Parts: sequence; structure tokens; C-alpha cells
Amino acid sequence: MATRITDVHGHPSCRLHFWWMLCAVFVHLEETCSSLEFVWNSSGFGLFFNHEQIRTMSRVKRRTTHPPYWHVLKNNQRDDEKISSDNLCFVREVIQDKYKNKSPIKGSDLDIEKTVWDPKTKRSGVIARNIGVQHMWEKDGKKVICTVLHVLDNHVVRYVPPEEYAKSVIGTKMFKNRKPLGCLVVGAEAANPDRFTRQYCSLFDEVGLLPKKRLARFIVTPNAALPPCTPLTAGHFVIGQAVDVYGKTIDYGFQGVVKRWGFKGGPASHGATKFHRRGGTIGTGRDKARVWPGQKMPGHMGSERRFNRGLKIVRINMKYNIIYVKGTVPGPTNSIVQIFDTILPRRRFTEAPPHPTYFPPEDGTLPQEDIWDSSLHVFGSPSISV
Amino acid sequence: MLRRAVLQTFRQGLAQSFFKRYAVSLTETTVTHQPIETSNEAGERSVPTQKTGDESRNTVVVAPPEFRFMYPEFLPDPAMETRNRLREKLERMDMLQRRSVIEIPEFYTGSIMAVTVADANSPNKFARFVGICIQRGGSGLRAWFILRNVVDKQGVEILYEMYCPLIQKIEVLRLERRLDESLLYLRDALPEYSTFPLDMEPERRLNNSVVPINPLKVKLRPRPWLERWERQNLQGVEDLNLPQRFYDKAEKVAKPWEKYDLMLHYRKTIPAEEQEKIFAEVHSQLQQQELKRKLRRRRGPDNEQ
Repeated sequence: MATRITDVHGHPSCRLHFWWMLCAVFVHLEETCSSLEFVWNSSGFGLFFNHEQIRTMSRVKRRTTHPPYWHVLKNNQRDDEKISSDNLCFVREVIQDKYKNKSPIKGSDLDIEKTVWDPKTKRSGVIARNIGVQHMWEKDGKKVICTVLHVLDNHVVRYVPPEEYAKSVIGTKMFKNRKPLGCLVVGAEAANPDRFTRQYCSLFDEVGLLPKKRLARFIVTPNAALPPCTPLTAGHFVIGQAVDVYGKTIDYGFQGVVKRWGFKGGPASHGATKFHRRGGTIGTGRDKARVWPGQKMPGHMGSERRFNRGLKIVRINMKYNIIYVKGTVPGPTNSIVQIFDTILPRRRFTEAPPHPTYFPPEDGTLPQEDIWDSSLHVFGSPSISV
Repeated sequence: MLRRAVLQTFRQGLAQSFFKRYAVSLTETTVTHQPIETSNEAGERSVPTQKTGDESRNTVVVAPPEFRFMYPEFLPDPAMETRNRLREKLERMDMLQRRSVIEIPEFYTGSIMAVTVADANSPNKFARFVGICIQRGGSGLRAWFILRNVVDKQGVEILYEMYCPLIQKIEVLRLERRLDESLLYLRDALPEYSTFPLDMEPERRLNNSVVPINPLKVKLRPRPWLERWERQNLQGVEDLNLPQRFYDKAEKVAKPWEKYDLMLHYRKTIPAEEQEKIFAEVHSQLQQQELKRKLRRRRGPDNEQ
């Protein structure tokens, strides 16, 4: 709760957040010797910078707008076909027959080998939707911003064993000098097969699942493998654990240099002619006598893959399949994200989580609907008295 | 058909209740309106079935239209980019949970309130502040209001988050409305308009169903001011007595076409159908909580005796 005890508008103190740039890492490049120069770069900071380091970071390939070449065509390219309403009904009946509603899968139905969890196990992740942000309070009255993640209807589509995955395009790059791991293909958000191509639907046919709108791959150790059609729910995670969330950041479109790279631009007044949000100088004119590759300029900003690591799960709602995670997550509201167990070494699991995944108890007892972390203040409980 | 009828009654009810409830000023002695239904009576209203052809439906729970003004924080932020029905529903459930523990009374900008908050640095571990509500905003669990008072000739404003668990008690000492939705001009007004005794007792309301509007016109201090009050069409401020050039500039800068901009107002509000749904969901629980509190209040003095 914020208390502003003032009669005059108070000004917030400026935050100095550019001093982290002092710890620059040396990048060894073939072409030139790395030379430290005192540079007044366009952002107006006078610091010792390694030329190569600034230039290369803005050259990192940031995004592709097309799927990889080995993906099958997903969405139906046909325009609306002129079929009669009777035929339309028939098509719907066929679809319903093909994908008849199955009873919820119990743990005993699936043939999962009883595997033991060990600290080196990598479990499957989960596909969720970021549905927004909710404010909650800790037991000492401190407010926390929690992101609400809605775990969609995830089902395992197939498991690719390590030997096979190591031969794939991504597998060869990933496991070049490492022991290969398996890959779980998980799908989320079932949709009408009409909107997809036949090749895309065939990915799910062998398993008997309705085609899913989203697919994701999770790298797992063989002991965490799951058979196809296994549902993954919010119970897959444990209260208090740390998770990594992958998402694509907010797409800002074509942005100028001030918003994109944090340049200071120019003065708003004092006679500045047409120089308020521009980049300024782009080179010295002396060494190299050209614009260095990677010079920071206006361009497309956002829509990039990012991981927010080590976010703590503070509340799980089993009824609606909702996870509340402390902190924020890359991407706008209503975007799809992937949630994994964290790789951060100090926040990993010390005790076994639901391995390989969570199954509701078979004796009919319902799990607790709303599970809260011990640090959070539960809304139905009495007010906090300090 | 049913939906349209319900919508019609809801909207008519909105307009009617707005005028009934808030158009009475303190100076008027007689109340010349149709019989006013209190929120207690207008619980489950059955939709008049003669208007519809659909006779299979018997009763539709419609919350009284006053709820839109009494509980504005239950309506979500209208910005479409951040809206999600499921999250809003879960947030409302949490809000109701919190309301079951503490009574958050009906209040408006211009009401005088007292808030007790748990404070580690206070001698009693509780801090009580009395002030006039000058602004209120936020939606969901982020709903807030600002209380203003002048303490030892120093103006003090405190922003309270309504659903913060540190808040022990919220009392409304005087429930009334002013001529403006935001009383930020009190910062530039003479201090007597913002001064309220810290040991003020709660005042009893004569007429429970009508919230009076205080037609007070406040005198401002001489310029300079914090904002350009002449540009804001304030009703609750006395004549500013500024040179004509200020009013000319205000006219130049004004946007008189905004009141005709339908899309602008549409984007700033939640549609009536959705409001109806939201309050219907929340209505029964809020009513139950009201009843429980009333019973506790009645039992309280009885037990003491």
C-alpha cells in the first residue's frame, strides 16, 4: 500500500541503471585486435568500451518470421468451399465419430515404466497461456505482482528416444559434444480439424488426438518419458518451486533508436533543430573509415525469444488449471508461453516432484482445489496485524 | 427477446436509479420521486414475462443497477489488449473472499472516511487516518482511493489499496457525493475545505436509499496552482476570477467534439450486457455478506446488553 504524505507533487528519485555496463566481457575476434578506447558513443555515456562487444551484440540474429523447412504446412489454404448444409453436418458427424470423447486417462491405464527420480532428471514442460497479472500480498503485507498462467489442455503427442533425436537437424547441433537426451512433443489447445491441413492432422492421427493449435518440444531424460495421450495439468508443478518461462516478447514494430537501444537523443529545446530523438554520429571517420557492422540504428523491436528464469510458483488452482507465478513473463497478455522446471543450480529440485507427471488420485478423492504458498496471505484469512 | 427485455430494464433502471439516488441535494427538504426501491428489496427481480415470447424461463437474477456505482472496482479495465474473462472471474472470486473478512462499505468521492491500517512503526501497531476521499480508481484487486486531510496545517494525502490485507477497518463517517468525480482541486483550495477532525464520529444517514450530493462550491487560493483548473469544467469550484485570456486559451485547447465521440466512450466503458453478467455473478454473494453483517451488528449491541 503506497503512502504519499505530501502536499506538493513529489518527484521519484532517478535510478542509475547504466553502471552494469562497466563489467564488459572481452570478445576475441579474428579480424581486429580488441582495442579499448575511450568512446563517447551516441548514448552519451563516457565509458571504456570494447568496440567489438557493442557491435556484435546488435548483430545477433534475432528472429525468423517463417517456420523451419521440415515443418509441414499447418493451416488450411483453401477458401471456404461451397458445400451444402447437409454435407456440413455429415462432415461434423464424421469428425465426432473419429475423435470420440475418451474417459479421463488414469495413471494405471498408461503403460508407464516405474522410473525413479534423480536430481539430474529433466522433466517435461507445459504449454500455457499468459492471461494477465494479479496483485497478491505476502504475510508481512508486502505486495507482489503475480503472473497468471492458464495451463491449456496439454497432451503428449509422441516421444522421440535419444538415439533418434540425436540424428535430427536440431539434435545434431544440440548434442554435438554431449550425451543425447530424448524429446517429448506436446500439443495444446484442441481445435476443429477443418482448419488444418491433412499432413498436420496426420501428426495426431496415430495417437487419436484432436489436432492441437500449438505444438512444443521439451527435452527430457529417458526416465521422464511419457506415453502418447498423457494429459499434463497444473498439478505437474509443485508449490514453491522455481520455473523458467519461455515466451516471445511484445512486438513493438519498427522503433526508433531511443526506445530500441536506449539512446538519449537530443535536447527538447534550447535551439535544437530537428534533433530530438535521433541517433547522432554513427562513426568516428578515422579508424576503419566506414560504419561498423552492428551499428545500433532504428529497426524492428520485439517479438524475440526470451526466457525469464527462476520464477517462483506461489499458487496453483487445480480446478481451473491455473498457476500463479511471482514476477513477470515475456510476451503480451493472452500469448502462449512454455513453462519448464528451472535450470538455475541453486533453485533446482532437492526433493522428488510428481515424476514423470501428476496424475489425480484414483481412489476418487479430489485434490485440494486452491493451493497457496506459505509466504502468501490467503484472501479468506483474517487481516494481517503487524 | 429475453435478453433485450432484460437489457432494457437494466438500462432504464440505470438511468432512473442514477437520478433517484444522487439527484437529491442537502438543501431540498421534500423528496419528490417515485417509490425508491432499496438494494435490499431489489434482490432477485423476475423479468416481466409478458414482454417476452419465451415463457420457459421463470426468473433471471439481475443485480440492481446501483451496483455499478456502489462497486465500480468489480468492472475490469476496459482496455481490450489486457482483458481475459477467466482471469477477471478468478480476481472477482478473490475480491469476494477478502470482502467476507472485512467490510468495504459503499463510498464516493467526497465522502469522509476513516481507515485503520496495521503499522509496525505506530505505538499501538495500528494507524488510523480520517480524510475526505478525493479520488478513486483501479479495478479488481488493485482498486485504490486517496484520502486527504490537513493535520497541523500540513496537507496530507494517503493512497490506500482497498484489498490490501494490512487494512483492518474502513469506516465511512459521512456518505455523500460532490459535484465533481475528482476533488484534486482541494490541493489548491483554502485549507478549511480539506480539514476534518481526526476524532470525527460516524454520522447517521436520514434517508438510507439516497446518497446526498453536497453542492458546496470551494474557494481556491490565489494562483499559482498545480493544474489549470479553468480548463477542466469543474462544477464544485467558485468563480475563478481569472483574466479573460485564460478562458480564451481554454476554449482553444478544449475538445468539445469528445462528447459526440461514441467510439471513445464505448472504448472507455464495459458494455451493459457484460456489466449485467458480472454483477449477476457477484450479486448473491455480496447480498449474503451484507445480511451477515447486519445480523452481527444487531446481535452486537444485544449481546452487550
